[in-house]
Amino acid sequence: MIAAPRLSSSFLQASGHALPEPLMALRKQRGTALIDMPLPTRKTENWKYSSRYLKLDDELATGLPAAGKTGPELAVAGYHVVFHNGVMVPEASDYPDVDGITIQRFADLDDDEALELAERLDNTLDSNAVQLARLNSARFEDGLYIRLKADAVLDQPLYIVCETDASTPGSAYPRIYVDAGRHSKITLVEEYITSGAESAMVNTVTEFALSEGAQVTSIRLALDGDNVQHIGATGARLKNNARFESHTVGFGGPLRRHDLQVRLEGPGAECVLNGVVVTQDKQHYDNHTTIEHVAPHCNSDETYRNIAADESHAIFNGRIHIHPDAQKSNANMSNKNLLLSTGAEIDTKPELEIYADDVKCAHGATVGQLNADSIFYLVSRGIGRREARALLSMAFINELVERIPVEPVKETVQARLNLFFEQTFNEA
Amino acid sequence: MLSIKNLHATVEGEEILKGINLEIKAGEIHAIMGPNGSGKSTLSQVLAGNETFTVTQGEVLLDGNNLLELVTEERARKGIFLAFQYPVEIPGVSNMQFLRTAVNAQRQHRGEPEMNAAEFMKLARETSKQVDLDPGFLKRGVNEGFSGGEKKRNEILQALLLQPRLAILDETDSGLDIDALKVVADGVNALKSKDRAVLMVTHYQRLLNHIVPDFVHVLADGRIVKSGGKELALELEERGYGWLGINETAAAAS
Repeated sequence: MIAAPRLSSSFLQASGHALPEPLMALRKQRGTALIDMPLPTRKTENWKYSSRYLKLDDELATGLPAAGKTGPELAVAGYHVVFHNGVMVPEASDYPDVDGITIQRFADLDDDEALELAERLDNTLDSNAVQLARLNSARFEDGLYIRLKADAVLDQPLYIVCETDASTPGSAYPRIYVDAGRHSKITLVEEYITSGAESAMVNTVTEFALSEGAQVTSIRLALDGDNVQHIGATGARLKNNARFESHTVGFGGPLRRHDLQVRLEGPGAECVLNGVVVTQDKQHYDNHTTIEHVAPHCNSDETYRNIAADESHAIFNGRIHIHPDAQKSNANMSNKNLLLSTGAEIDTKPELEIYADDVKCAHGATVGQLNADSIFYLVSRGIGRREARALLSMAFINELVERIPVEPVKETVQARLNLFFEQTFNEA
Repeated sequence: MLSIKNLHATVEGEEILKGINLEIKAGEIHAIMGPNGSGKSTLSQVLAGNETFTVTQGEVLLDGNNLLELVTEERARKGIFLAFQYPVEIPGVSNMQFLRTAVNAQRQHRGEPEMNAAEFMKLARETSKQVDLDPGFLKRGVNEGFSGGEKKRNEILQALLLQPRLAILDETDSGLDIDALKVVADGVNALKSKDRAVLMVTHYQRLLNHIVPDFVHVLADGRIVKSGGKELALELEERGYGWLGINETAAAAS
């Protein structure tokens, strides 16, 4: 019998960066818990389709040095925070110092604040479901702690650019925690990008705690390079009447994994989760989402679309769990998929677990190809076949892209998608 | 301009066109009439290059070039335009984007500069008024949620923007009330030019009250069984197809 592969102990080496004591202690404790952690295999249900893409070689265990600094790719109005290999770059960051809103890097927290944070970290994520996110908790070298007091409103989007600089092989662990007080409001844009061409892994965790009536919009762009494995987790917990809106846009890579877990814990809470994924060549992308309807009278509305070209592989797993007390829950989930070639693969799995009897729950998943009648209609007007396919592919996801509520982000995404389809269809 | 010789075509192994011969010269308007199932729509689709149909015999020349060797988009760029009987709805692609992409694809083919968004928007708005289509329809998805009449007007709008050599109108009159019919007919009449030909495929004579054809052909069971001038259409209206030895009920049922 062959022993199951385990996480190499080299991944659990403490980093050199000094953090406030409570965070150092948390890291150490999380690291200890991960000793001999079995790595996911084909038999691990939530990694069934993705374990074969995961390659945690020892060389990736080295923490990437946080030396350089970088500028935000989105040169747009708003506030900016730049992370370089998981460590904040103050010189490149620009964010407000206003009443009611505290934005701090982990390294700058005093012991009381660090203790408060250490008690909160990981409390939005189910550790059994996001095993590899726990590696972030053992390895983060810095992070961003955002607190909004009651009624505080951040007047412009906060862009957080996380650059993984793979000039040498290794890994980076960006970390974000947002505590949104009662009736506060914030829009956060996370953008994950790569520089350098060596093999690397970025492991991200972003958490949102929403108090009563808080409104958080989270936009997440996974734009890492083909040399980077990207493992990310986002967690959100919502109290009464809070609203969480998420837009994730992902381009494929050697390994792309995002877990999104939302817990609706107070009556009247609502989440809207939109996701767009495109993959080409031999790329991979795996989205796993979980919505926990814990309290009654909550709404969830989830729409994910995947497009897979060439020999790429896209996966969607959407779980909705309606707890026994969550009467009058209203849950909608839709996952539509487009296969652009016979060599591409898409796996979609809606999972519904309903333990309350008075709920409305609808779900649908489809996998299809471009419509031949639509192609004929377009080419009959003189439009080239490749351009017709690109137009129709874009049309498949554009409705979701249009919903991104920050105009410059939407335009960036559309431009990148157009480029993606141009590449896909020119090689075809 | 267009010369069809002994054209045979099949769909899923069944022969639908059984030897069509037709000559169309620039400046002419031809009407093809015939009962349901006679092959009228098949002829339109085959000329436009729908790959669902297989041409088994014959040739089609457009300005002396073999049309059947060209794929659909190349035919369109050479000037073939088909107004669809059932225009396709394409949510997610705006009508404006679709029209501009098509016009620019054809301009590029002719070596003309592309039209920019502002230039094109002006042209599209003016042209849409010509077919009585509110410019608001330009912002919507292609044919998305359009009524039958709006779809047909959108087809004519495309023809006016693309200025084809040969416009083929497949049952463009079906499903139109009398006002919409007039609008569509005015659009088609605006297309008339000495350099362009129009081929109208229709089941009914009523469109021909508004667009007067130079020639009328009767298609039955995959062949043209009679050709004449515009008076032939009136005769068909009065007498039906029976006097030509066509059993309309049987043809319709097939």
